[in-house]
Amino acid sequence: MSSALHVSGLTVRHGSVVAVRDATLIAPTGGITSVVGANGAGKSSLLRAIVGLTTTEGTIHLGDRDITRLSIEARIHSGIAYVPEGRRVFPGMTVAENLLVAGPSGRRVRSARLDAAFDLFPQLAARMTHHAWQLSGGQQQMLAIGRALMASPAVYLLDEPTLGLAPTVVDDVANSLIRLADSGATILMAEQNAGFAARVSRNLVTIRTGRIQSAPVEN
Amino acid sequence: MLVAQLALNAVALGAAYALVAIGFVLVLNATTAVNFAHGESVVAGGFIAVALTGVASGIWPSSLPGIIFLPGVLLLTALLGLAIASLAYLPIRNKPPVSVFVTTIAFGIIVTNGLNAGFGAAPRTVPALLGSGTVEIFGITASRQSLAIIATATLLIGMLAILLQRTQLGRKFRASAQDPEMARALGIRLTRITLLGFALGTAFAGAAGLLLAHQFFITPFDGVGLILKAYVAVVIGGWGSLRGATLGAMLIATFEVAVASVSSQSLAEGLLYIAVLLVLLIRPEGIFGETQRLRA
Repeated sequence: MSSALHVSGLTVRHGSVVAVRDATLIAPTGGITSVVGANGAGKSSLLRAIVGLTTTEGTIHLGDRDITRLSIEARIHSGIAYVPEGRRVFPGMTVAENLLVAGPSGRRVRSARLDAAFDLFPQLAARMTHHAWQLSGGQQQMLAIGRALMASPAVYLLDEPTLGLAPTVVDDVANSLIRLADSGATILMAEQNAGFAARVSRNLVTIRTGRIQSAPVEN
Repeated sequence: MLVAQLALNAVALGAAYALVAIGFVLVLNATTAVNFAHGESVVAGGFIAVALTGVASGIWPSSLPGIIFLPGVLLLTALLGLAIASLAYLPIRNKPPVSVFVTTIAFGIIVTNGLNAGFGAAPRTVPALLGSGTVEIFGITASRQSLAIIATATLLIGMLAILLQRTQLGRKFRASAQDPEMARALGIRLTRITLLGFALGTAFAGAAGLLLAHQFFITPFDGVGLILKAYVAVVIGGWGSLRGATLGAMLIATFEVAVASVSSQSLAEGLLYIAVLLVLLIRPEGIFGETQRLRA
């Protein structure tokens, strides 16, 4: 099986604190790989390091390409999309604008991707002219995932997509992630909710005080 | 009749102030930094128009309307904006905000002294935009210059609105203003957004210089008063809001014209700052400002 993302010997420091220690991780192409751990275990730091928002030691390969030395912008353009903890949608922009801004420069491709995002999230299509701040938490999460989809990335990085959501809304998010994965997407997800992660993921690893604990398990 | 004419004057002055205030907010949105060279950019726009008028009079015997110089003023002040960004902002963007205060103030002083050396301290003027004199509209005697100022500012603000609302570049600009880190994580190159903000913002200031310099004359030292007004308009309108800045500029102009019509210009300016102090004591978030939303 080919690996979409291969992280090797990754260490993240925040000052004197080591948030992630010597992490090695593979996200195989297609399907969801989850990194499960408690608050403060280093999940977010791991994802932020892969995007390039924090500096790191170690190497990161996207497919065959070493992206370790690339800037954030170059990493994004080479095929990584990031859905941060807390959604971080642009509150003063409409749903459609939030999606379009993440799309490619060609107008036609952009509008085709917009249709794809609305297909995956019909709830967003119905609210395309609403401002993002008017959406519920679950809808904002879908918007954040839809925004990542606009870049048609090789790998999605999802940071705690269920944080703060009601159980029924978590089901909605689970279903859309499963549909996204079924369409061939590769997703690396950080999650506290182990039940949710087990339900949607093909591979699970755990992280504890900055260390990846178990070898990947096929779910 | 008199009230209608005063109202027209107020709207024209407000429209010119609005360009200054909008330009200030564009830089603020692109960087979160306050550009204290912004007032001098208005003055620079006025003097660029003075210089272009001089050059044109050597080539073309009859005098040209001021509007002819608008594209040249926009272009050259946009370049000035790129210079401010490259020299006074980008090299120190990761330093504390006070550093940017100092570098932009220094840049403004350089512009002031450069203009003083090149043009002298005496007040200068530029041709009226579309001829001087008055026209009768609906029984009101309206000054051509006031109408032309309103039309020019409306056109520029309309074009900006189309850029920001309808284009991919505009969406990227607004996204970066709302959450720069997230914008970066979507692959948006923030340095380009910063340069765009300075170029557009300074060009708006420059256009205001051309619009104001005919009626009010211009000296190299007018920058301080102008940035104060822009700052006040933005504070009244709610920090960072383009619509608020426009409303704030209109309010300031109305206040100035109204007070000056019954007393003097200097009293109008003095009372303006007292009024602003009172507004801030009662509503620190500005008259139109929302309570500031937290940035994640």
